[in-house]
This record gives sequence, structure tokens and C-alpha cells, in this order.
Amino acid sequence: MLETKNINFYYGNFHALKNISMKMEINTVTAFIGPSGCGKSTFLRLFNRMNDLIDDTHLTGECLIDEQNIYHKSVQVDELRKKVGMVFQKPNPFPKSIFENVAYGLRVNDIRNKSFIAQRVEESLKAAALWDEVKDKLKKSAFELSGGQQQRLCIARALAISPSILLMDEPASALDPISTSKIEELIYSLKKDYTIVIVTHNMQQAARVSDKTGFFMLGELIEFNDTKKMFLNPDKEQTQNYITGRFG
Amino acid sequence: MDKKTKQKIAFIIFRTLSLCVVGILVWILGFIIYNGIEVIGWEFLTTAPSEGMTAGGIFPAIVGTLCLVVGSIVIAFPVGIMSGIYISEYAKNGWIVKFIRVMTNNLGSIPSIVFGLFGMALFVNMFGFGDSIIAGSFTLGLLILPLIIRTTEEALKAVPDAYRVGSLALGASKLQTVTRVVLPTAFPNIVTGMILSIGRVSGETAPILFTVAAYFLPKLPSSIFDQVMALPYHLYVIATSGTDIEASRPIAYGTALTLVAIVFLMNLLATTLRHYFGKKVKSH
Ligand SMILES: Nc1ncnc2c1ncn2[C@@H]1O[C@H](COP(=O)(O)OP(=O)(O)OP(=O)(O)O)[C@@H](O)[C@H]1O
Ligand SMILES: [Mg+2]
Repeated sequence: MLETKNINFYYGNFHALKNISMKMEINTVTAFIGPSGCGKSTFLRLFNRMNDLIDDTHLTGECLIDEQNIYHKSVQVDELRKKVGMVFQKPNPFPKSIFENVAYGLRVNDIRNKSFIAQRVEESLKAAALWDEVKDKLKKSAFELSGGQQQRLCIARALAISPSILLMDEPASALDPISTSKIEELIYSLKKDYTIVIVTHNMQQAARVSDKTGFFMLGELIEFNDTKKMFLNPDKEQTQNYITGRFG
Repeated sequence: MDKKTKQKIAFIIFRTLSLCVVGILVWILGFIIYNGIEVIGWEFLTTAPSEGMTAGGIFPAIVGTLCLVVGSIVIAFPVGIMSGIYISEYAKNGWIVKFIRVMTNNLGSIPSIVFGLFGMALFVNMFGFGDSIIAGSFTLGLLILPLIIRTTEEALKAVPDAYRVGSLALGASKLQTVTRVVLPTAFPNIVTGMILSIGRVSGETAPILFTVAAYFLPKLPSSIFDQVMALPYHLYVIATSGTDIEASRPIAYGTALTLVAIVFLMNLLATTLRHYFGKKVKSH
């Protein structure tokens, strides 16, 4: 379970996230929507502490995974990131072979058993619905894949280290419609094993893949509700306006 | 004059000037090849000078230059690459980085004769190495350090941040990210820097003048504490202060040609390697 309590986040003096409290259950898909610059990515990056990499930032409040504050001093960031995988907006495979891309997370975690690695690579590629397309060219460079395939490779790479949570920041925004629907199907099938949080600019996508939706505006979480309710009959007028396209 | 004519004239001037530059380069090369090619041969490349350096070959000087190249690379590379990594990957963009960058740039613009003098004071005298390969290698190593640091830094800067972020997000440490993703990606460009510095080392005369180069030493070195002959200094000697300058003129051109050929081959190798590795790690 993911939970935030009164999260405030600052880039320098800029107040990017304002007093956000919410809960996300395990094995659900949560979508974040909202206009550009409202803080969706910033909020998402809290959960694997990628914001730590940005200089001059400041956080108050609590961010809990399974009841543990992940910003507590005792938490090791690399252990946390093994549990919380991330997929980025632009596919970012490493300049390595397809196999090595998926094996990377295992290798950096000191797993050396060759047959185990091979098995994990295969399982992950299957889970990412990419296996059939690449099983004969695992040694080939990842750059030989199409954009959509590269993105599924990045998903496989994230799955290989068996995270329990998967963060996805506009994972399909750089892809064509067919690749996009493949990613959406994938998200749907991954839901039974993972807790997924996805940022998207695509309303239909949020409606299709998610159980719950959060609507952000200017650093505030305006509404957090069941996706169905959110798109049919939202509680807040701002949400209604955004969804029906008066904002954007 | 209308716009088009102006443009045409400007274009003609630019082109003529660049052709002039190329012309001069071709002329220099042609001149050296024309004058040097007749003495070049197996014997010239594999025997020592004889008869007061008016006959024989340049073998000891070739060996000496190779020793200095290897020596300075072994010394400067680890230090240069690690500094480059530190500056680009670890140091926050604060005053330390600015200071290091200003210092290395300044180091790079110091005339090489000053390095020679400093090398003599420090390595030859203070450390007591005497005139030796090791003193010369340290001096040349210092000389190429800025070049190596800068090429490493630039090669690392050219690696997309998406790789670093992607690696860290998988639970890799910073060191793992650098050694497993960033460095391999930057490697082709680092190698290029390395080979360019080899070209630089083989051609420098001033830094080895007081630290290693021998006027005439027909036997090969047996340890790093020996003196050696070196191609650029040998060229200087036979062109200005040999026993019979006129008689050794062809040898001087032969030496020059050998030196140019070595540098040229190094640059060719750099380009080829970059191309080869570049293909292997080619990005989008
Ligand atoms: N590294 C940073 N330094 C300073 N300000 C930042 C930084 N990253 C984001 N911001 C600011 O924080 C706010 C939220 O940014 P964020 O990237 O989280 O928005 P977003 O909702 O993901 O937008 P988009 O939909 O365009 O991706 C923006 O106003 C942005 O300008
Ligand atoms: Mg974003």
C-alpha cells in the first residue's frame, strides 16, 4: 500500500506539491491526470526517491510504503528502488543488447547465477509481452527495436528485479496508437501482480486502464476518486471542467 | 551590388581561403614526403645512426619515442580519466569544479618548454630520477593531462542523462551506473582523446629536452631510468647541430617523415576506433 500524508515539495522556493494526502491499495492501477506542470511527475518520483537526484529540493510530510516511511534515515535508497520500479516517458534502453538490458538490474544487485538470470530475462520479457518478438535476437542491440518495443523492453527491465510497485510516467506518450494499446493491455495484465501508478495526459487511457484516478492542478490534488465516478460524475467542478476539456 | 552578387563574392572568398589552407598543408606534406622518402627503408627504420649521424638509421629514436608514449600514457591516463569522471559525475557544480576546470585549462595553455623546466626541477633533480624515461614520461604525462581530463569530461557529458536515471531507478549505485553504463557509452570518445594525446606526446620536443632526450645514444634503454633518443629531438639535433648538417639533411627529412607518419597513423587509428566502437554502442 502506498500512502502520503501532508506532502509538500519545493524546488528551491517553488512550492510544487501542496499538502497532498492519499492512499493507493495494492494490486490496483492509479492514474494521475492534470494540466502540464501541475506536479504529476514530481509526485510520482517521490515514491522511488528519484527527486533526491535534483539539487535544492525540500520535502515535508510522510510518504509511506507498506506503512514504512521511505524517507526515514534507515531506508536504503537502492533497496527501495528495487521494490519500486519506474518506466519513463521516453524509452531509455541502455546501449547494450536486449538480453543485457533486462539482465542489468539483476547484475547490479550481484546476482551471478547464469541460468537464473536467463530464466528471469525470459519471464520478464514474457510478462512485458515482448518475448515472441525478440526471442531470436536477444544478442542484438536494443536500439534495433521500434519505439514501442523499446518501451516494453524498459518495462521488462523494470520487472526483472521483481518490484512490487511500478511507476509509469506517461509511458505511451511517445508511441503510436498500436504500441499504445499494447502497453495498455500490458498494464491491465500486470495489475494482478503489481501495484501500478501511471501518469497520463490521455483521458481515455486513464479511463481504460485505471481503478482510481487523481486529478492534480497547480500542485494540489483536487480530487481522488474511483475512475468510473471521476469520469461520469466527479465531485468537484474543476475536475468536471478539466475532463470535459475546458482546461488543458 | 545586389544581395545575390554579394553572397556569391563572399562565398568565393571563403572557398578560396579554405582551399589555400588545404593547399599549404598538402604542400608541407608533399615537401616532407618528397625529401624524406628516399632514405626511408627497412634499414633506416631498424638500425642506429652511424658516422656522426650522417648515415645509418633512427631505430633508437623510434624506440625512445615509443617508450615515452607508453610511459606518459600509463601515468596520465588513470589520473586523467578519474579526474574527468570526478568532475563530470560526482562533483556538484560548485566552486571546486570551476576551480579544477580553470586550473586544467590553464595547465593546458602553459608553453611546453615550461613543463620541460619544471620536469627537470622536480623529476630529474628533486626526485633524483636523473635524465631518464621515467622523468620524461612524468613530464609528458603532465603535459597531456589537461587534454585527457577535458576529453573524458566531454565524452561523459555527451552520455544522455536518461541512461543514468534509468540505471539508478533499477537500484544501481552511482559507481555501478558510472562503470557499467556511462563509461562504456563514453568509451569511444575517451579512446579518441587518448590517441590524440599519443600524437601530441610523440611530437613534443621541449618537455623532453632537459628530462630524457639523449643527443646521441645508439644503444637501446635497459630500464626506465635510462636516457633515450627521441624522434623530435633527434630531428632538431641533426638539423641544427650535427657533425655535418648538409650530409645529414636527407636523414633529417626521413626522420620528419617517420614522425609525421606515426602521428598520422595514430589519428587514423583514433578515427577508425571511434567509428568502430561508435557503431557498437550507437544510440537512437
Ligand atoms: N528539476 C526541476 N527544477 C525546478 N522546477 C521543476 C523541476 N522539475 C519540475 N519543476 C517544476 O515543478 C512543477 C511540476 O513539474 P512536473 O514535472 O511534476 O509537472 P507534470 O505535471 O509532470 O507536467 P507534465 O505533464 O508537463 O509532465 C512545474 O511547474 C515545473 O516547472
Ligand atoms: Mg511529467
